[in-house]
Amino acid sequence: MRKMLMTLTLVIVLLTPLMVGAQDEEVTLRVIGFQVVPEEMDTPLAQARLKVLEDFQAEHPNVTIEALETPPEFDTQLLVDLAAGTAPDVWYQDASTLARLVDTGNVLDMNTCLDLVPELTLDRFTPSFLDIHRRETGEIWGLPDGGTPMVIYYNPKSFDRAGVPYPQDGWTWDDLLETAQLLTLDAEGRNRLDPDFDAENVEQWGFRARKYTFEWIYRTWENGSDVIAPDGSTVSGYLDSPETIEAIKWMRDLALEYGVAPGPTLYDQMTQELGFLTLFLQGKVAMFDRGHWEMVGLAAHEDYEPGRVAVIGQPQNTNRATVIYESGWMINAALKDDPAKLLAACQFVNTLTDVGFQSTKVTTGLEISANAEAAAAAVEESEWPEVEKVFVDEAQYGRLPYGALYANWPTVESALDSMMEEILAGEEIEFAVQNAVDEINRELERAAGD
Amino acid sequence: MSAQAPHWFESITTHGPRLWQRFWSRSNERVGYLFILPSLIHMAVFLLIPLVFSLVLSFTNWQGVTFQGLEWVGLDNYDFLMGDRRFWNAMGNSAKYTLMAVPLGMLVSLAIAVVLNQKLKGVYLFRTLFFMPVISSWVAVAVIWVTLLDPTSGIVNYLLDLIGLPPVNFLGDPNTALPALVMIAVWKGAGFQMVIWLAGLQAIPEALYDAAAIDGASWWQSFRNVTLPLLAPTTFFLAVTGVIGSFQVFTSVYVMTKGGPLGSTDVVVHRIYQRAFQNFDMGYASAQSWVLFGIIFAATLLQLWVNRRRGQEILF
Repeated sequence: MRKMLMTLTLVIVLLTPLMVGAQDEEVTLRVIGFQVVPEEMDTPLAQARLKVLEDFQAEHPNVTIEALETPPEFDTQLLVDLAAGTAPDVWYQDASTLARLVDTGNVLDMNTCLDLVPELTLDRFTPSFLDIHRRETGEIWGLPDGGTPMVIYYNPKSFDRAGVPYPQDGWTWDDLLETAQLLTLDAEGRNRLDPDFDAENVEQWGFRARKYTFEWIYRTWENGSDVIAPDGSTVSGYLDSPETIEAIKWMRDLALEYGVAPGPTLYDQMTQELGFLTLFLQGKVAMFDRGHWEMVGLAAHEDYEPGRVAVIGQPQNTNRATVIYESGWMINAALKDDPAKLLAACQFVNTLTDVGFQSTKVTTGLEISANAEAAAAAVEESEWPEVEKVFVDEAQYGRLPYGALYANWPTVESALDSMMEEILAGEEIEFAVQNAVDEINRELERAAGD
Repeated sequence: MSAQAPHWFESITTHGPRLWQRFWSRSNERVGYLFILPSLIHMAVFLLIPLVFSLVLSFTNWQGVTFQGLEWVGLDNYDFLMGDRRFWNAMGNSAKYTLMAVPLGMLVSLAIAVVLNQKLKGVYLFRTLFFMPVISSWVAVAVIWVTLLDPTSGIVNYLLDLIGLPPVNFLGDPNTALPALVMIAVWKGAGFQMVIWLAGLQAIPEALYDAAAIDGASWWQSFRNVTLPLLAPTTFFLAVTGVIGSFQVFTSVYVMTKGGPLGSTDVVVHRIYQRAFQNFDMGYASAQSWVLFGIIFAATLLQLWVNRRRGQEILF
């Protein structure tokens, strides 16, 4: 016992000057994702950022924050910079491409920061956001900043036109299908359930069904299944499970069986002519899956009126689920060798994820804050409080995007997109799924070095 | 200045001092080499080294960050590629594109060149107009063509409607998307090929046409038996460069279709780009690039062989 105490004392004696030195040393942190560009200087977000910078530098006079412009093709540029040793110290990272950086050891485990900065605690984060970064083995790869669960947007005017009640939270797949059938109207105002419905002259579609995996992966979760094994080693038994195939069939049937969503060719024609947001706001398509960022585009659209946009959580089948697309703050793992910079970076990330700065999220309209207190406050302050509440509530059902977990997810996702494209074009489901299973398993085996 | 090669050089070479002696002995050659030295350095740094580097990478599993964890995988990437159905689908699309774009482009540009080789009023203006798409940005061209080909409001479908044909979703239909891209590429590239054809046409001696006319040859006979044979080197040049360029088509696909619909325009360079810069699978993307190089090289050799069989060895 005495030996242990002596060792501990020795360690503290040795480390204390280092830490004192780290706190006093002049450091410059290169940060990407926090730049205030001149043309946005008057926006509330820019003002908030400037205020945060001012406050942070007043509190930490030895730290200079060099806010760098986010380069185009950031993911590629970051890889190049990491390889060249010129990467930023702190950066804002889309969690959908996080796994690759984790696998290559370029991201700091934030447990280091939790030890260095006691004020930085995990209880500030909404659990589903934190889970995107936290692994079962204890590591925390970056800390969440903000993001969005995927919800369903609907146009209340389209509902009014069809005389259909607005969807209610907790609705089911069957409810969505029936609602979409009642919302799909022909030129005479007849809906899909009307035996005289004229399928050649659809004036209003109930839903939008597309090939993109990011817009449908949670349907498999809602049906109690998944597309890939938890360890990411195979899709056999997952993508081709009866439950997943049932979910895929349900999605396909919206377009091909029930005719409540335009098929891919028709959809392509429609969007080439008007653009999707115009179609939605003009009541040509009544519902679609999307994240919070779409509110910005919708609100800026010339056809926008508050009564034309509302959102509702995802429908459930056996489960209730959605996905959260999120970005967070990363610290360069190379800072482990520079105690002064490391401490400064951890302090800055503490400031960035604190309720003070996070409260400014509401001004962007792009996402909700990962900070639970800031997200709750935003519901009151938002320009669209009802919309904001749905997003905040839906976040509790959110799961992580698989790009945060599996480094080769982009390859898998690309194959899943192609599979769904073929299915929506009329390919037999089992055949397309089996092709995708073979293709993806080959890729996964190659990545594992088998 | 000494005309002798340096001692150190002669001592390390067994067969090659002649070249160096020649180089060293002629001051004007030395100056010439010095003039091209910047280009040689540029070529070595930005072409030769990356070329060799990509060949080495094609035998590794490099993911494009650091070299930590890089493993030598031998021929695994090439072995995997053999069973990669999407890669071969893309290769097939590139081949189809080439088979359509090269002959069609050459025909159209030859027709334009023949017309614009006449002594017509305003011929320089027309040559300039036909050349303008060549210097236009692909992005601008794409925006214009997407609008022109719009299935409901595009002018192309309007013209089809005028002659009683149904509307076509050119870029949205798997059967028409690739031909549509070919059509746009022909439109954009015709001006460049026209200039090459014009150079070839203007090199044909007028006396041969006079002789043909005295023999009573019609315009077509003169074109068939005088113009075309004497354009053989130009034809060969355009065919070879056309095949090489068409197999490497990328920008139009990237900007207009992203490989869709249903993979019908997913050409091989677009697939390589996705592997390299979206999936960061650099080792495998390098292997794909070298297979593409091999196929283009083989196609070029085949063209050379066919050309030699026909007794034409003018160009190479």
